[in-house]
Amino acid sequence: MDFFERFMIPHPSPAIYAAMVAIVLTSIAIVVGLTYFKKWGYLWREWITTVDHKKIGIMYLISALLMLFRGGVDALMMRAQTAVPENALLDAQHYNEIFTTHGIVMIIFMAMAFIIALMNFVIPLQIGARDVAFPRLNAVSFWLYFMGAMLFNLSFVIGGSPSSGWTSYFPLAGDELSPSVGTNYYMLALQISGLGTLITGINFIVTILKMRAPGMTLMKMPMFTWSGLITNVIIVFAFPVLTVALAMGTMDRLFATNFFTTTDGGMDMLWANLFWVWGHPEVYILILPAFGIYSEVISTFSRRNLYGYNSMVASMVIISLLSFVVWVHHFFTMGQGAMVNSIFSITTMAIAIPTGIKIFNWLLTMWKGKIQFTVPMLYSLGFIPIFTIGGVTGVMLGMSAADYQYHNTMFLVAHFHLVIIPGVVFAMIAGLTYWWPKMFGFMLNERIGRWAFGFIAGGTCLAFFPMFISGLDGQARRMYTYSESTGFGFWNMLSFIGALGLAVGFILIVYNIYYSTRYASRDIGDDPWNARSLEWATHNPVPEYNFAITPQVNSSQAFWDSKKNGHTLFKGGYKEIHMPNNSGVPFVMSVFFFIFGFAFVFSMWITAVVSLIGIFACMLHRSFEKDHGHHISVAEIERTESELRGARNE
Amino acid sequence: MKELFPIKHVMGFVFSLILTSVALLVYILDMSFALGLTILLITAFAQAALQLVVFMHAGESEDKGAIYTSVYYGIIIAVLTVFGTLLAMIWGYV
Amino acid sequence: MLEMNKDNTQPLEYSTEQGRMNILGFWIFIGAEIMLFGTLFASYFTLEGRTGAGPTGAEIFEISPVLAETLLLLTSSFTIGLGVHAMRLGRQKAMMTFFIITLVLGAAFLSFEVYEFIHYVHEGAGIQTSAFTSILLTTLGTHGAHVTFGLFWGIMIMIQVIKRGLTPETANKSFIFSLYWHFLDVVWIFIFSFVYLKGMM
Repeated sequence: MDFFERFMIPHPSPAIYAAMVAIVLTSIAIVVGLTYFKKWGYLWREWITTVDHKKIGIMYLISALLMLFRGGVDALMMRAQTAVPENALLDAQHYNEIFTTHGIVMIIFMAMAFIIALMNFVIPLQIGARDVAFPRLNAVSFWLYFMGAMLFNLSFVIGGSPSSGWTSYFPLAGDELSPSVGTNYYMLALQISGLGTLITGINFIVTILKMRAPGMTLMKMPMFTWSGLITNVIIVFAFPVLTVALAMGTMDRLFATNFFTTTDGGMDMLWANLFWVWGHPEVYILILPAFGIYSEVISTFSRRNLYGYNSMVASMVIISLLSFVVWVHHFFTMGQGAMVNSIFSITTMAIAIPTGIKIFNWLLTMWKGKIQFTVPMLYSLGFIPIFTIGGVTGVMLGMSAADYQYHNTMFLVAHFHLVIIPGVVFAMIAGLTYWWPKMFGFMLNERIGRWAFGFIAGGTCLAFFPMFISGLDGQARRMYTYSESTGFGFWNMLSFIGALGLAVGFILIVYNIYYSTRYASRDIGDDPWNARSLEWATHNPVPEYNFAITPQVNSSQAFWDSKKNGHTLFKGGYKEIHMPNNSGVPFVMSVFFFIFGFAFVFSMWITAVVSLIGIFACMLHRSFEKDHGHHISVAEIERTESELRGARNE
Repeated sequence: MKELFPIKHVMGFVFSLILTSVALLVYILDMSFALGLTILLITAFAQAALQLVVFMHAGESEDKGAIYTSVYYGIIIAVLTVFGTLLAMIWGYV
Repeated sequence: MLEMNKDNTQPLEYSTEQGRMNILGFWIFIGAEIMLFGTLFASYFTLEGRTGAGPTGAEIFEISPVLAETLLLLTSSFTIGLGVHAMRLGRQKAMMTFFIITLVLGAAFLSFEVYEFIHYVHEGAGIQTSAFTSILLTTLGTHGAHVTFGLFWGIMIMIQVIKRGLTPETANKSFIFSLYWHFLDVVWIFIFSFVYLKGMM
């Protein structure tokens, strides 16, 4: 019986039992549905084994949206619990679990997946490539991320969720103070999906450096591709730090080592240090692609070239370096002297300079432009003021002397949400709406989209601005309740109403997807936005090989030049195209990783070893496999192209 | 047989042995901590550069710019992380 | 793409576009590995003096096995370099000989390391003893795990070269393996200098 007791939830509640039942019922429904409609083969052939960057991008997108709703429900429950003083909706333990999973799910499994989804779909198209450099590894990346996300979410119903915050500071996260397996899940799930992210990083750097269309020098790359390059550079150098920190944390919990303990020389602060050595660059991993999306959207809908291209690139390069030297500002109050804090204060404030340059570049791009208020543009316009408020309060927090006042209060919570939501979430929705026609062949409804924007922008302001005030009044973050005499009640109620507004906005987006899928016109041409970069030069829907003829590029706006200045993108005739083969190995290997992670969480060592052998067997299979891909014949290209109405510039 | 042992590689190997012997001096001889650490820093980084250029052929391909950037970037960030961590965790910790 | 766009002016391992991308990708992976070991070193230096009730480095380090390990790994780095040189001359047999010597030296390195670990445990410096022993054994263990992985990887690549001969693909894999092996030597140099020699100074 002991064996099974470990899998029980330590603090069960009706909500968790309901979730268990819902998960079982949904799983049964999916299995029955797939069997009834005979879709297993389709799912395996077209999706699970695919190495096509476009399909992998769409799978990332679906996963990210699912995680958005998981994290969103956590957020709503938090705001509901604190909406009134002395509320008893959740107890302290549940509240702890929810703010922990909210943070991890939103950062790692939602935002990361969302940016990687868009990078996957868009970057190869923007640089005129047929796929990424290592298509098979791309599938490995996705499935590792997916299995990591599933493992993390499993903690909710088997064994208990982590509850020591998304930062999992030791000694709280050690096995003495967090005895349930929740934090094991945290360590293993992040480790597995982090591995996938690292592989993505390497893959995209090589793709961007080696697979650009002829004529596209580095300084002629579209801005989203530039931001992708810099982001992946940061990924490659930041994620190994997380790998090491998580491995050390796992060993502390499972093998009684003494890295972060408070006995035998262990140093709990080292965890905080390593976590933020990764954690701060991570912030820029999320924000830089968002900046790239805004650059594309603002330039397209202002009908102007991006202002200050060179300074945009330079500021991103500077941000990528500075992002690695500011991490101490996350724990100014935890024991360093004035000297150290001053150094990191200065580096922190320095990073506002390149960011400010970008803001002015966007404003100057719009200056005298013919602005079209489409939904992606609305998000970009909403982003600038809200993000600036979030950003300048960050400079306040960055002053180490003043930080003693703000640290760990709701002021901080307001700051980072007002950076991340307009910075990342708005950009994701803008990018989703902008590239949606390229992905699915129809446009999202503009009217519903505008309503959704209204609710989301208004909800964001209403939810987070009051936290500045309650934070300065002394409300600490992560408190599950407070007494009426504190006076926090009013501000928290406003936040709750704002959170409801956000929820309505996201529901409207889902409704928009449903509505547009049913009713939107499929006859939109290849370039519905009158856009500027190469992804719009191929067909809707994009054929498997992306471009029948490799495009010739002459500027950072090659497609715009081909439309306005008579530049010829596609020269010459069709040639045979070489494409990679599908493979089930990435999926199978990731399943082994999932089993490995699960076994590790519950210290089932035999299972762990067996699954590790399975992982190595998959690698061995790949090494000895003779896979030279397949070729698409000229006749087949001609057939596809004539179906898609022929290449544009012939 | 001789063509299998190019002079560049043999010299590289000899030089790396010399560097190792020099590093060993800090163990054999009695010297100040600062001097010893300086010697170790010089020999270790020289050794790393030797491997990189002579044995790993870092500069031979069309991608040498990207390769050197990646390695230098890694080294710079790693060194900043090491010193930043020491600064925050030991030297500046009160 | 693999066989078609062969460029005969370059060494076999660089002769295809995919091969060149593999090599660049691996170099970027090495960049990530630099950061991985950099983090371990940062943690090592932070925890070095925090020995709790356990021994210090100076008390448990022994110069002779460490020196033997260093010479073994340095020599193996030299021989794999010669292996790649032989590969470029098209001398498959010589290349195989050098690869075998490399892997034998690597195995010898590992046996010394196992001896070293047993010695530490006997001296009362297990992985749970103190923060210092935890990070010491983790840093050494991470490097050792890389060498162990390299041994198996090297054997698999040799099997492929023997079965398929020197093709753009097998040459590419062998070259990438040599990069990995040289890199492990570089990491060891830093461990040798800043863990052992600094600790025994």
